[in-house]
Amino acid sequence: MDRRSFLRTSAVLTSGLAALAASLSPLFEMQDFPTAEKFLQKYYKEMTPDDMAKVVKRIENEVERQYGMRPHVRDLKPMDGVEFVYCLNLTRCIGCRKCVHACVKENNQSRNPEIQYIRVLKMPHGSMDMEKGEHNYAPESVPEKGFFYMPVQCQQCKNPPCVKVCPVHATWQETDGITVIDYDWCIGCRYCEAACPYWARRFNFTKPEIPKDKLNPEMAYLGNRPRRQGVMEKCHFCIQRTRAGKYPACLEVCPVGARKFGNILDPNSEVSYILRTKRVFIQLKEELGTSPRFFYYFDV
Amino acid sequence: MKHKANRPKVLFALSLLFLALTGAFLLNLWGRPARMPSIPLVDATYTSNATVRVSYAELIRTKADLSDFDCYTCHERNKTPQLRFDDKHNLLIPKEHSNIVMGHGSHNRNNLCFNCHDENNLELFQTRDGRQLKLSESTPLCGSCHGPTYRDWEAGAHGRTSGFWSHDLGSPTRQDCVSCHNPHAPRFPSRHPAPGPHPLRASTALTENLITH
Repeated sequence: MDRRSFLRTSAVLTSGLAALAASLSPLFEMQDFPTAEKFLQKYYKEMTPDDMAKVVKRIENEVERQYGMRPHVRDLKPMDGVEFVYCLNLTRCIGCRKCVHACVKENNQSRNPEIQYIRVLKMPHGSMDMEKGEHNYAPESVPEKGFFYMPVQCQQCKNPPCVKVCPVHATWQETDGITVIDYDWCIGCRYCEAACPYWARRFNFTKPEIPKDKLNPEMAYLGNRPRRQGVMEKCHFCIQRTRAGKYPACLEVCPVGARKFGNILDPNSEVSYILRTKRVFIQLKEELGTSPRFFYYFDV
Repeated sequence: MKHKANRPKVLFALSLLFLALTGAFLLNLWGRPARMPSIPLVDATYTSNATVRVSYAELIRTKADLSDFDCYTCHERNKTPQLRFDDKHNLLIPKEHSNIVMGHGSHNRNNLCFNCHDENNLELFQTRDGRQLKLSESTPLCGSCHGPTYRDWEAGAHGRTSGFWSHDLGSPTRQDCVSCHNPHAPRFPSRHPAPGPHPLRASTALTENLITH
């Protein structure tokens, strides 16, 4: 090899390497690079209470670093003799969408882009055809004549298709009927999103943006702790509230009292009363055999 | 040996290409995600848990000013106020009570003061079966006519609840009828809906199309 061709070849090599390095440069900007601790974290169901205590501490530190406020993260377990059921009174709902935004506030969803667990469908009277549902209604005042409103969120199915398709068991059904997601185990394949017939699952396409002063510090591991980019999330019946005995946020905010929640195994609960005495006319898309724990009913 | 003669040119072109790529990667020409449109935060009124109205019982609890409920600062004791009607038998509301809009059902007979207020003691309510109730006990008063709804309310199926579903861990708060319904015109008022889902990058023409259909 003569001097000239050596120089030529090395020029190509150097510039090639430079191009390679430049193409990999976004890696240097990558934030949230998993720490060894996070990378080696065990599967939720295999964690001992000690492991969980460490994980909770890690999450609290991460949130504090990112949002400047120390949250209170808990790993709440299902209670014995409790199975949650949700009932929604279609006669009462006026379609004001307050539940949508109370949910976002409670569950630390991304504000930009928006992630909302509840969709409110405006439907013409006399039809149950979901195809006629309208999301983007914006009249001066609701309710509008000739329409009823149907809020749809995760139906917490007894036979959940989303759980069956998850290749890594990052989502499962708990004994109190809540289908949960372990955000640290999810690989973001979005199979569950495709499998859900209710369009209830949401994907974090970008890093969720939550203003620091809007963060809800009362958090649960399987509930409303901040998610990272690339994981699924969905309604979990406000696990951080309901497993502590409280009503979900969407119920508390409903101005007309259309939303009812409780323990179906308790014969004195309001949901038992409703299922016993009211015209509970649908589980949404009943024919699919998913057997939702979310019931729509009418008064009278 | 033609291709050997071309080699310097090819190598030069390759170097240039790689340098251009380096520049492009460093400037991040195509890897930069498009800027998200900014989405305004929702107004705090849409996430407020407040009831539509404030009941008398709630005013007592919060120790608010109750002077509006002193009937006998204007009315005379032991004197039944007279109701006046126009020629179509509609109740005439005296100007002192002009803030009251009567709209309890569609029939005139449901819009008479002394169906609920006690004409002999204006600081009490009366039910049709002759019971007397305090102003703070309006819910049983409503229940004396609206039986099935009262039954639902007692079971927790009608009206707003908050607090705890689990009676072991806490207790639920029940709202009175008048926390949501105006007793003189009980139909629940319509209201402005909170903003719908943001269409992100959808063109405004598309959104308008969606809204009108």
